[in-house]
Amino acid sequence: MGRDPSDLVLFVGKRLLQLIPVLFGVIILTFVCTHLKLVGLCNAVYPHASKEIIDACNAKYGAPLLSQFVTYLTSLFQGNWGTSPLGVPVYPAIAADLPATIELVLAALVLMIVIGIPLGVVAAQYSGRWADHFVRIFYLSGWATPTYLGAVIAAVFLGPAIGLPSGGEYSTPVPPFPQYTHMSVVDALIAGNFPYTIDALEHLVLPATVLAFINMGIATRMTRASMLEVLPLDYVRSARMKGLSEFFVMYKHALRNALITTTTVLGVTAGGLLAGTVVVEEVFDWPGIGQYAYDAIGGGGSTANFDGAIAVVIVFAIGVVIANLIADILYGVLDPRVDWR
Amino acid sequence: MTDPVLVVDGLSVTYTVGAGTFSAVSDVSLEIEPGKVVGIVGETGCGKSTLAQAIPRLLPEPPASIGSGSIRFKGTDLVKVGRRQLPMVRGTGIGMIFQEPLNSLNPAYRVFDQVAESIRIRHYREMGWVRSFHGGPEPFDYSRPPNTTTVAGSLTKSILPSGAAEEAVRDRLQTRSQFREEVLSYLRLVRINDPETILNLYPHELSGGMRQRIMIAMALSEKPALLIADEPTSALDVTIQAQVLTLMKELIDEVHASILFISHDLGVVAETADEIGVMYAGRIVEFGPVADVFRDPRHPYTKALLRAAPSQYKADGPLSSIPGSVPNLSRLPRGCPFRPRCPLARDRCATAVPPLAPVDPAAPADGRHIHRTACYFPEEVPGLP
Repeated sequence: MGRDPSDLVLFVGKRLLQLIPVLFGVIILTFVCTHLKLVGLCNAVYPHASKEIIDACNAKYGAPLLSQFVTYLTSLFQGNWGTSPLGVPVYPAIAADLPATIELVLAALVLMIVIGIPLGVVAAQYSGRWADHFVRIFYLSGWATPTYLGAVIAAVFLGPAIGLPSGGEYSTPVPPFPQYTHMSVVDALIAGNFPYTIDALEHLVLPATVLAFINMGIATRMTRASMLEVLPLDYVRSARMKGLSEFFVMYKHALRNALITTTTVLGVTAGGLLAGTVVVEEVFDWPGIGQYAYDAIGGGGSTANFDGAIAVVIVFAIGVVIANLIADILYGVLDPRVDWR
Repeated sequence: MTDPVLVVDGLSVTYTVGAGTFSAVSDVSLEIEPGKVVGIVGETGCGKSTLAQAIPRLLPEPPASIGSGSIRFKGTDLVKVGRRQLPMVRGTGIGMIFQEPLNSLNPAYRVFDQVAESIRIRHYREMGWVRSFHGGPEPFDYSRPPNTTTVAGSLTKSILPSGAAEEAVRDRLQTRSQFREEVLSYLRLVRINDPETILNLYPHELSGGMRQRIMIAMALSEKPALLIADEPTSALDVTIQAQVLTLMKELIDEVHASILFISHDLGVVAETADEIGVMYAGRIVEFGPVADVFRDPRHPYTKALLRAAPSQYKADGPLSSIPGSVPNLSRLPRGCPFRPRCPLARDRCATAVPPLAPVDPAAPADGRHIHRTACYFPEEVPGLP
């Protein structure tokens, strides 16, 4: 009876070990995809580069694929994430950009939870009625929107129309306080700068909303489905019979159990959210890892940066695995019948 | 004479399934006086549970709907009460113990939280923090002699202070440990050994009998004016059934609440109830004081039920059964619903549903608490085997 906290430690440990093969697979896949066709193509990839860069490129990518891979892995294990063709090291850039992306993704996740889940509850509560249909239209339209289209529409039309900024983290390029965390809202809060906190939030709203709107469907849909499973159960009737109002019956008793499934699905959406940042950050000029990825693959006429691209994929893979780990831990927290194994 | 707690008058409940509709409960009338126990018996599928859940308006509407009739609970017609007001009636007004204890507790919360929630609902209503339907819940009538030494007797002192105002002050000052003590007192009331351990467990760690005890404790902790027990033991193992039944009987004795006790076990109803209604195909076919109905049944169905009941009523030979089965509620026979299975059936029975009329022709036709039967030939029933 009961669960031992040491089981949880073991569970987390095992899941983190699983991270190793996942990362290895991801690295191989990305490496092969980016390097396979490079040999001899340095001229085409860097048409306007100086002769030194082309020579360096040919030297680096001219070797057999396997030996390139071994070289790359060795340096990766030594903590060297490689450099861009222009000689800019990858790791410091990623480390500086990651917090902004985390902030954006977390903001989108919060929106998905506080909007997407209640929408699912409402849809289940009034299933088959107009509210259900309205919610379905809402999340399906989000689902069906291509990220780039949603981001561009929000940035170009919606933002100006409702007076929200649609570019950058603050209204001034550099805020008048030190950026300890590189998360715009958090830094403003740490500095105690209230106007800048509001300003940062205003800048965060649109990109986070676009990300959330596009990925929200799955949370809403899962919440609706599992609520429909839970609602006819006896304990919901018991809760009603206790004299609880319908709000508490829904959100305290039914949703608490329905969330168990939704949480798992939210972990899965982490991949979608991270992938979405590539376009959303570029459109909204959000200085995060997504924008870095966009530049690394040569988007917007920038110089292709293969080491950078692999690094971004590794970071995204770690993010997805950790998100799913958190979801699995929450699953156990929400459902006392689950053993951590 | 005190006003009845509950007056159900001509209640009909219909279900709409697909294109068809059928009445699960038809034209049921009953009255429960304060402190009285009314038993409802009948075979499975006769509409007992539908009736039980229709009273606190717990049936999902749709597919169920209350076709006609009224449910007057302390003077308020629950049929006319709006959806938003219904929660105020439930819990402290009408409490309920369900048939299936296995899934009746929320798997995500510990026992303590679930019992505490019930107590808190009552506290908030007593203190007026939350609007309740009839100006605060009315406590059980714990009207036993003061020298009582039963569990409930000793409990009365701790959980039932004299005045509501006093209680409000007490509750506001109540500390966490006192609150915990109140939760524990209700677990002890339902004879749970080692309640301190049980408090911290989740429902899946408890047996069915234990869960049902906790359901009972939760219902009682709201001190409802009317308690509906809907076959509280039928889903349990036989040995556990006996334990929970003993508990129910003791509690009914101690608590003196108004109770609607629904069961298919005639013996239990005979021992606990003051009045009994026999249901068949959604109708009450015989009603009256327990002693009258059991000693002198005047409906062929009641007679057959009693004959089919084991042990207490028949000591030798094989148990008899009632030929045929409960009719499909969507295809009821014309006239008396028991006609196809009835040994007394004749042409007149097919004309119309016999009304529930007093057995004694001299009694007033509208008497509520006298022996009544819905049979055209009640005088012939005692002659049946």
